[in-house]
Amino acid sequence: MLEQILASLDESEREAIDEEELQVLERVESELVTFPSEPSHLLPILQHIQARHGYLPKLALRLVADYVGVAIGKVYGIATFYNQFRFNPPGRNPIKVCLGTACHVKGGDIILENFERRLGIREGETTADREYSLERVACIGCCALAPAVVVGDKVEAYVTPSKVEGIITEIEVRKEMAAREQKKNETANG
Amino acid sequence: MKQPTGSPVERLAVLGAAAGEAVERLRQSPVPVIEVGCATCGRAAGALETIAGFEEALAANGVEAEIRRVGCLGHCYAEPLVTIRYPGFPPLLYQKIGPGEAGILVRSFLKDGSDPCYEYLIGALEPDENFPTLMDYPRYLFEKRVVMEQCGLIDPEDIDHYLAAGGYRALAEGLEKGGEWVLEEVKAANLRGRGGAGFPAGRKWEIARSVDKTRVIICNGDEGDPGAYMDRTLLESNPHQVLEGLILAALAIGAGRALFYIRAEYPLAVEIMEKAIAAARERNLLGEDILGSGFTLEVGVFKGSGAFVCGEETALISSLSGHRGMPRPRPPYPAVAGLDGLPTIINNVKTLSTVPAIIRNGHQWFHEIGTENSPGTAIFSVVGEVEYPGLVEVPMGVTLAHLVNDICGGVKDGKALKAVQIGGPSGGCLPVSLLDTEIDFDSLKKVGAMMGSGGLVIMNEDTCMVEVARYFTDFTQGESCGKCTFCRIGTHHLREILKSITIGEGRIEELEDLEEISTSVIKGSLCSLGKTAPNPVLTTLRFFRDEYLAHIEEKRCPARMCRNLTAFYIDLEACARGCDACVACCPTEAIFTTSNRKKAIDQEKCVKCGECVYACPPEYDAVRRVSPPELIPDQGVQPLDSGAGSEKEQ
Amino acid sequence: MSEKIVTITVDGKKITAPEGAWLLPVCLEHDIYIPSLCWLKEMDDPPASCRLCLVEIEGLPEPVASCRCPVREGMVVRTNSDEILKLRQVAFRLLVSTNDGHCNTCIANRSCELQQIAKFLHQPLRTKRLRHIDRDYPEIIDDHPVLMYEPKKCVLCGRCVYVCSQNERGYKLDFAKRGMDTIISFYGSDIDPAAKECADCLACTEICPVGALSSKEKWRRFIAEVRLKQEQKKQKPS
Ligand SMILES: Cc1cc2nc3c(=O)[nH]c(=O)nc-3n(C[C@H](O)[C@H](O)[C@H](O)COP(=O)(O)O)c2cc1C
Ligand code: SF4
Ligand code: FES
Repeated sequence: MLEQILASLDESEREAIDEEELQVLERVESELVTFPSEPSHLLPILQHIQARHGYLPKLALRLVADYVGVAIGKVYGIATFYNQFRFNPPGRNPIKVCLGTACHVKGGDIILENFERRLGIREGETTADREYSLERVACIGCCALAPAVVVGDKVEAYVTPSKVEGIITEIEVRKEMAAREQKKNETANG
Repeated sequence: MKQPTGSPVERLAVLGAAAGEAVERLRQSPVPVIEVGCATCGRAAGALETIAGFEEALAANGVEAEIRRVGCLGHCYAEPLVTIRYPGFPPLLYQKIGPGEAGILVRSFLKDGSDPCYEYLIGALEPDENFPTLMDYPRYLFEKRVVMEQCGLIDPEDIDHYLAAGGYRALAEGLEKGGEWVLEEVKAANLRGRGGAGFPAGRKWEIARSVDKTRVIICNGDEGDPGAYMDRTLLESNPHQVLEGLILAALAIGAGRALFYIRAEYPLAVEIMEKAIAAARERNLLGEDILGSGFTLEVGVFKGSGAFVCGEETALISSLSGHRGMPRPRPPYPAVAGLDGLPTIINNVKTLSTVPAIIRNGHQWFHEIGTENSPGTAIFSVVGEVEYPGLVEVPMGVTLAHLVNDICGGVKDGKALKAVQIGGPSGGCLPVSLLDTEIDFDSLKKVGAMMGSGGLVIMNEDTCMVEVARYFTDFTQGESCGKCTFCRIGTHHLREILKSITIGEGRIEELEDLEEISTSVIKGSLCSLGKTAPNPVLTTLRFFRDEYLAHIEEKRCPARMCRNLTAFYIDLEACARGCDACVACCPTEAIFTTSNRKKAIDQEKCVKCGECVYACPPEYDAVRRVSPPELIPDQGVQPLDSGAGSEKEQ
Repeated sequence: MSEKIVTITVDGKKITAPEGAWLLPVCLEHDIYIPSLCWLKEMDDPPASCRLCLVEIEGLPEPVASCRCPVREGMVVRTNSDEILKLRQVAFRLLVSTNDGHCNTCIANRSCELQQIAKFLHQPLRTKRLRHIDRDYPEIIDDHPVLMYEPKKCVLCGRCVYVCSQNERGYKLDFAKRGMDTIISFYGSDIDPAAKECADCLACTEICPVGALSSKEKWRRFIAEVRLKQEQKKQKPS
């Protein structure tokens, strides 16, 4: 299926697909067969791709559309309706700031602003190095611990502007350490 | 698994007895048991770290104990919560147990039972001579736990716990007496839907039962209100109760298909429910010929994809069918033609969770709780500026004042209560003068609010009502499906007007527009999202008009919350020379040192996050907040010469 | 629908209709005009989304959309009460507040249904009362080989999506996004060779009430004409 779709593209369009995306597409194609090929399974299929790969590449939507037998525009219409789906690859450290009622009352928007300032991106964007992405979410159900932020899949409670700094620093330190570790290994092996 | 034989009640008795034995063995075990509240909220507060702390300390001290994960008690302010069952002691509940406290508990208590660490103790879960019991606290005394009775006490992932506590007895009885009897019982109980609208569940079921087609029952666990989480708690902490309610409802309407619709943001709830379904299936409480009754039912779990409007029945069905989750005009009502055109009943998690108790105890019992027209209990998630936030279950009919002041400990830090926002984004803001309002479906509606999702936000004098209205309108506007004109564009205008008021650009004529658009959106929208979205605007306009006027006419935010209309400054009289506490905390480096070595704020750089207010040591308490910003006094601030002097000193 | 004929009263006038027929077309047949945008007579299941067709029905607590209200014996309907007029006006003001209002350079000028409804409701096409909402979209979206779309003109009635779905090769366009961001999207037609076949159909461009959808070819011709006229105008007075 993927082959046919790729074959139908222009040269320039084919070139626009990088290695990483191609891998995602190949995996999506092989995973699709575990789902019934009916339009009513569209959401579970899209959820699966989102959860597994972090976003929905355009050609993956095309794969899904062909698989369940509806037009790609319809699949896109469905995917863009729901908050859950992304159409660009996320950052390695996705940060979600809760702006539910309790978090709002406790200054969640100030926390969001601090992340925006610290990372130099706006809500909904990813940093150029794909390290961080920033999003706002409505209530993660931790209202008594407001304001709350989800970093990766860990919930941070009672976040303050200075804790924002701490969260980023922690990630940076971890990254630094991993890099050093890798270097050490490389020199040891090489 | 070998299945027992006989009638449903007999078969259940066998299952119950086996479960009882298993749980009793656990109770009697010579090894102490540590139960850690591990619902999403507990985890956010660090429950998993607490478990790791226990494991480490147990190993280090050579102590043997079993660690179990339980659900949420609803006492979120005290999270992480830990219960310790130590032979010879009643079960003891501890609050705010991090890894450090876990270590202390292991060394002082679990090792040899010498010191039960009173400093972390809330109380005993059972009456006891030597320990305060939970009943000694107002939170427990005034609450009436019907639906949440077992939450946080049983292991949600072990069906035996639920069975041993009398679980599925209602189902067995229902299976013996038949679906019609269940229906009659629920009708007689006048159980009103807990999903917001309060429509009697029995009446709805009857409509579906009268349509001669395969019927569908769906448990609505979409819980999109950005401030309520009781449905999640029930799904995570006592999944079998919800499941039993769903099976009973299926029996009552004679359903052939059953589904949980759970929002994607609740992965733990999905996981726990899937386990619960598998466990129930294994014991023939689900599947073919349930407990030998001839009734067959399969239950599936469907994950929502994050859209508030999908909590609305027709939108939920659209999304289940793989479409954009847009509401459809009614009629046809889902109870007549819903999923795939089949009669479909949608009930809230709390509604279904109440059903087993009604069947077990009878409808008369249910009427003894709550009020005449709203029998039973209500669950609220109380958040905001309150002493003891968390989940509270009270009988219908108690007053808001009782709930806020007596049960939840009143407003935090001794501040004055200003308003409560009840019912979530489509509810209303009620002022202190309406605190005598009784909590039930009809009384709340009368004052312009509603039961809604059970969100209850407590607001003190520092909360701006215009800003609150803007926040909720922003939410509903962002969640509008975009189908109908009034909701799509009307709520947008509402939000824009409110936004301009909060930044000091409001015009007095626009108050009229707010009212006109609000009433039109209520009358003209297609679904209840639009029909209720303007409630926060209308109630704040009604009860807090003076705040709107202050913003518009004086460019002043009385609560000093709206950031464009407020400013921070440091009172030089109070500021301590040489203290640097605020400088480090400011995210924009807006604080500078003055010529006399005190601190001042560069208004250009200040983003008004208020961090310095907290950083300033309480003995100085020098940061002031004023609205409008022109009120900053001229203190003759001079920055410390950035020249030679200061650099050298350091 | 049953064959039974029932009598209803609309604005004091007695009319007869088959029981269960939608009220809106029944009224139109009897020369009682009710404005509408999202309804088409072919629809089995009207979306009732534009909310312009609201009417009052005696005994019901709130206004209902006549486009999908089945007629029943003895129904008493009012299409012109003060409340209904007010609601329609507000709905209309809301609709035009998102519209760019450039009638002179619009391909649908004079055939636009918004212009007709404005006349009927005595409402201006540019509301002064409400702020203009400039939705964050380009003037033109043209990633389809044959069609083009002007989001700032679109009233999101959904008729185009309906007619496209009725064509068995259809669904080249559909709603996308949500709420205020909702648009009609051609997503994927750039990687779908079959999209070129739209040139043989163009049903969506014909059904659009406001000229937000057109064939690229026709639009190019129209713009050339507009330019020409503007040129001539410039030259004449001097
Ligand atoms: C915008 C909107 C969102 C809703 N969200 C929920 C929800 O999250 N959970 C819920 O149980 N009901 C929700 N409802 C109410 C449902 O439409 C429905 O009335 C309810 O599930 C019926 O169950 P009940 O009769 O047990 O209350 C929502 C309604 C609207 C209009
Ligand atoms: S009221 Fe809002 S959410 Fe409901 S149909 Fe209309 S646009 Fe959609
Ligand atoms: S014609 Fe009835 S709502 Fe649009």
